[in-house]
Amino acid sequence: MAALQKSGSSFLLETLAASCLLLLALWAQGGVAVPITCPCRLDSSNFQQPYITNRTFTLAQEASLEDNNTDVRLIGNDLFQGVKMTERCYLMKQVLNFTVEEVLFPNSDRYQPYMQEVVSFLDKLSKKLSQCRIEGDDQHIQRNVNKFKDTVKELGESGEIKVIGELYLLFMALKNECTF
Amino acid sequence: MKPERCFLGFLFSFLLTGVAEIQPAHNSLKPQRVHFQSRNFHNILHWQPGRACISNSSIYFVQYKMYGQRQWKNKENCWGIREFFCDLTNETSDIWEPYYGRVRTTLAGIHSGWTMTQRFTPWWETKIDPPVMNITQVNGSLVVILHAPKLPYKDEKGKTVSMENYYELVYRLFIINNSLEKEQKVYEGARRVVEIEALAPHRSYCVVAEIYQPMLDRRSQRSEERCVENP
Repeated sequence: MAALQKSGSSFLLETLAASCLLLLALWAQGGVAVPITCPCRLDSSNFQQPYITNRTFTLAQEASLEDNNTDVRLIGNDLFQGVKMTERCYLMKQVLNFTVEEVLFPNSDRYQPYMQEVVSFLDKLSKKLSQCRIEGDDQHIQRNVNKFKDTVKELGESGEIKVIGELYLLFMALKNECTF
Repeated sequence: MKPERCFLGFLFSFLLTGVAEIQPAHNSLKPQRVHFQSRNFHNILHWQPGRACISNSSIYFVQYKMYGQRQWKNKENCWGIREFFCDLTNETSDIWEPYYGRVRTTLAGIHSGWTMTQRFTPWWETKIDPPVMNITQVNGSLVVILHAPKLPYKDEKGKTVSMENYYELVYRLFIINNSLEKEQKVYEGARRVVEIEALAPHRSYCVVAEIYQPMLDRRSQRSEERCVENP
């Protein structure tokens, strides 16, 4: 029964994603003028795999040992300030993309063997969200994302370690904001 | 080593190092192994005395904060205590959030530096106790009622909050045949009331249970074995 439900919901997701792709393709050709909203969502099964969940948490814990700056937190209330609940998965998508490309890929030789597995897991999630868009203005979201990026860059190497130390928070935020 | 001698030794080393090199003496006072121990979300900070010595005239001061906050908060109940532990359950009750605790000591008016814990996230780190079982016999079958461990939290109506609010929990029930040294899993699922049917009469059965957390692939320790005689 559980398996049936799961495949049912992932089928629904795939249909949504496919129709979204179709819309995008049409839009790209200038065929139709429809507002484009693609689903910003992840199947909850992504967060129910104990192996990778444990790996992600352990990696975060290892990196957090090297993060002496306990005052500054990247994924917290400030990040969601002024962002509606319905827009938060989109926000997290931006944070995820930045994390994977600007932080995890360049640091992929560290924290082995966890890093390798966690990077490929998060990269997959990032690809699953690649079609995620929101309707209308996203300036207020971009502002928060930029603040996140700026803080990481300002802190330099310790900022990148902080991001890795917060992968637990990233994981939980993606789970909370992108699954329904 | 006697406490007094120990204290004199400390004072001597403190005077020797002098004001210019005050740090080493401080370091030797600093509490060690400051860490949280968490069971069923009862989060207790533990530590050991500094390297200088174990002195019963040492008193300890505890602070805590959530990761990302600037200010440390004093834990009033653990401010100037002689114990080596401090209950921070209420201060760390947002179970998905990361926290820090830290401890320092004072000996003869000299403060040590703070020793901080690792980042501590109750949801991730707490250990769940085994379930408690109630067993009744009904017409040749066993009815087992399982209870997850009690949590320190109450909801707005003052009712206890169950562990299932935080984890998808699965109960596992085993029947143990002592003479064959064998066990058989008779149930795995989320139901709290389980009926075990079709038991042979005039035999005794021993039942044991555990809790499994699928999301983290962790299981609790086993409950105590309970044995009953089937009439």
